[in-house]
Amino acid sequence: MTPKIAIHGLDFYYGANHALKSITLDFPERQVSALIGPSGCGKSTLLRCLNRMYDLYPGQHATGEVMMDGMNVIGPGVDVDLLRSRVGMVFQKPTPFPMSIRENIAFGVRLHERPSRAEMEERVEWSLTRAALWDEVKDRLHTPATGLSGGQQQRLCIARTIAVRPEVILFDEPTSALDPISTLKVEELIDELKRDFTIAMVTHNMQQAARVADQVAFFYLGEMVEVASATTMFTAPREKRTQDYITGRFG
Amino acid sequence: MSFRRVLAVFAGILPASLVAVIVFLAVYSWPAVRFNGVGFVTSSTWNLGNTYGSPILRDGVQVLPGAHYGILFLVAGTLLSTLLALVIAVPVGVGAAIFLAEAVPGQLRLWLSFLVELLAAVPSVVFGLWGYAVLIPLLGHTIFPIMQRLLGFVPFLGGPTGSGYGLLTAGIVLSLMIVPLIAATLRDAILAEPMVVRESAAALGATKFETVWKVVLPGVRKILIGVTILATGRALGETMAVLMVSGNALNYLPPNIYSPISTMAAFIVSQLDSALQDPTGLAVRSLAEVALMLSVISVGVNTLARLVLYRAGLKDARV
Amino acid sequence: MSGAALTGEEAPFPQREAARLGRMRRRRMQSLLGWGLCALGFGLLAFAMGWILLLVLLRGISALTPKVFLEVTQGTGGGLLNAIEGTLLIGAGSMLLAVPLGVAAGMYAAQFKHSWFASAIRFMADVLVGVPSIVLGYFGYITMVEGLGWQFSLAAACITIAILCLPYICRTTELALSQVPAAMQEAAFALGAGEGRVAWRIALPVAMPGILTGVLLAFAISVGETAPLIYTAGWSSYLWNGQLVRSPVGYLTYAIWAFINEPFASANALAYAAALLVTLIVLLISIAARLVLLRRQGAR
Repeated sequence: MTPKIAIHGLDFYYGANHALKSITLDFPERQVSALIGPSGCGKSTLLRCLNRMYDLYPGQHATGEVMMDGMNVIGPGVDVDLLRSRVGMVFQKPTPFPMSIRENIAFGVRLHERPSRAEMEERVEWSLTRAALWDEVKDRLHTPATGLSGGQQQRLCIARTIAVRPEVILFDEPTSALDPISTLKVEELIDELKRDFTIAMVTHNMQQAARVADQVAFFYLGEMVEVASATTMFTAPREKRTQDYITGRFG
Repeated sequence: MSFRRVLAVFAGILPASLVAVIVFLAVYSWPAVRFNGVGFVTSSTWNLGNTYGSPILRDGVQVLPGAHYGILFLVAGTLLSTLLALVIAVPVGVGAAIFLAEAVPGQLRLWLSFLVELLAAVPSVVFGLWGYAVLIPLLGHTIFPIMQRLLGFVPFLGGPTGSGYGLLTAGIVLSLMIVPLIAATLRDAILAEPMVVRESAAALGATKFETVWKVVLPGVRKILIGVTILATGRALGETMAVLMVSGNALNYLPPNIYSPISTMAAFIVSQLDSALQDPTGLAVRSLAEVALMLSVISVGVNTLARLVLYRAGLKDARV
Repeated sequence: MSGAALTGEEAPFPQREAARLGRMRRRRMQSLLGWGLCALGFGLLAFAMGWILLLVLLRGISALTPKVFLEVTQGTGGGLLNAIEGTLLIGAGSMLLAVPLGVAAGMYAAQFKHSWFASAIRFMADVLVGVPSIVLGYFGYITMVEGLGWQFSLAAACITIAILCLPYICRTTELALSQVPAAMQEAAFALGAGEGRVAWRIALPVAMPGILTGVLLAFAISVGETAPLIYTAGWSSYLWNGQLVRSPVGYLTYAIWAFINEPFASANALAYAAALLVTLIVLLISIAARLVLLRRQGAR
């Protein structure tokens, strides 16, 4: 099967700092790929290459190939805003917009489509349901999103992302700011979402990677050390550095 | 005495002077407040009476025969010129703030922002000078007649265009004076919005402008409201520039946007000399009543503005 | 902007992508328009600023003769020596009063920031800033000029302007003091220094550049004020006679306001010369204050 995203020879620079070194990695379609490694290893940087989030910052640039459906995502002439409608992203901290719950969802949809009122209602319900949030908020869709709990806010951010109907969703440590129960809900959600979306996830939490990922890639000092299925990675890693990391000897 | 006590005594002068200003004005204007009653704000006649006549006693107050004090025309002039100033200043200020915060890179932003802050430092009387020497001839001879011809069918935009002194001119000058406050405060607020909020909007495919306009700006709306109220307070009390461009209309409600007006603040300056002609002193006390009203309004407006800004987390709004 | 790469036959939802691409073009136009309007907003501001400066500079420079600095005003001509002197006297006198009181208020608000009195000072300062200057001028008129019988005088002018400047000095002092690292003060407390000693010997020196900035800006305000002075300083064509009361003083802003309305070219020239002087003083002080702040930020 051809991968949804195929990275080949990707280098990334923060100014003069060489943060990613010649990465080659595939993201299989409709699977969860977890990126693990100690802080500063480049795993979040890699994620931010997939939707060109680094474009927001002058002085950051990437070279190489990030192929998605035959297009080099980091190449010239790519419509970055359209790219981001196909590659959604959920951040570490929940970031509800300063508007109502409903408007949080509608904002992204309205950017790309002109739905009728009924279609929009349908989309709001659909995305909130998919994010396992509908039952909790259906009676207060017009209240400010900032009034939700942290876990609910994060699920709202997930709903907001899938409402745009992307093909790929990037999760950047989506549960590191959440309590254990909310974390569990988000993990179940990711597991459920992979039926329809290709998912790339950065996590600090090895158990989380083991629980939800199909494929795990280990990063260290800007290099990709090893990629394998979750089972292989956590039972029989090839590299010594990987073994040290997953057994908690550093990082 | 402890250090703290000594410091408190000196520090107390500041709040004491604010209280003193209001109390003195209230006490001094009290006879006028009693004599003028509600008619003070509901009628548009400011008449010292017959300054050659002998004072008569009315309601326990010595007054000149025929004296009547009503400042509805001043209230109208003040509110209308402030309203016009806001209508111009808020969009311009928001635009300038977005431009400075989001469209200009670091070093250049510093310099351009500085330009805006310099505009805030230009004294009121210099704005008045510019308005008098440049704006009034330009507006009165050229712009107003064109506006009247093109837009005369719109209410308040038709009718005689006058000489250039008047409501719209005052509104334009006032707007220039309050725009820097709005632009600078809002620019700081926009810059302080966390990057992750912008990233979140960008991650949904929003363009940079959509991000700023639809996500960042709503995030700072409380600060925008607060600083708009603050700017309202400034415009209500602005004196010299208005005095020099408003036409200083007396006892006259403006029929259209071009016509001469006067404001409460400007009136206090323009009328003192003539008020001193009243041997009973009631005219001077009535002017004090204008000052009292103005101070009560500005204290109210500023209190509201600060409450909004404090609640928006802006404790050290620029002063 | 080309988005063709996203719309090839191989795209997963070709129709949807085409619709999104069309919409994207519209959105880009809207965004461009938005940026244009924002730039226009700033452009208007910069344009007005440039126009005002240009007017004052051009007309002011041609009116600025040595006579302006050497002679006093005579009727509608002569020079502005009396007004220059008066402006500086009023500025200096009001700072003499406002600096100790304003710094004390700011110090109290910063050092005892959780007390109710500190909140009251802070709030009253913010409100006092918003009280129109003409109201303060009228207050000065009824209390000092009339009430105390001082007539138009330097003392009445200085006290009125001092009240006007108090909140600015208070708030900048408070801000400067609140940026002094708490650890530095705690270290002094740990050595057994009292509140007064810590405030005077540690906090105040460290915060001095910030406080000076505030004082400079307050001085600039005193130079630029007009309305409150009309009622307290009056106007005089003579040099100061050393009297604090019962003797009016001239000042530059009065010359701008009064002489621009005169039908004589000599008077108008004086108005522009005064406007140039006032604007230069105010802008130079603002620039100096900004540079002090920038250097402090750079040092950190």
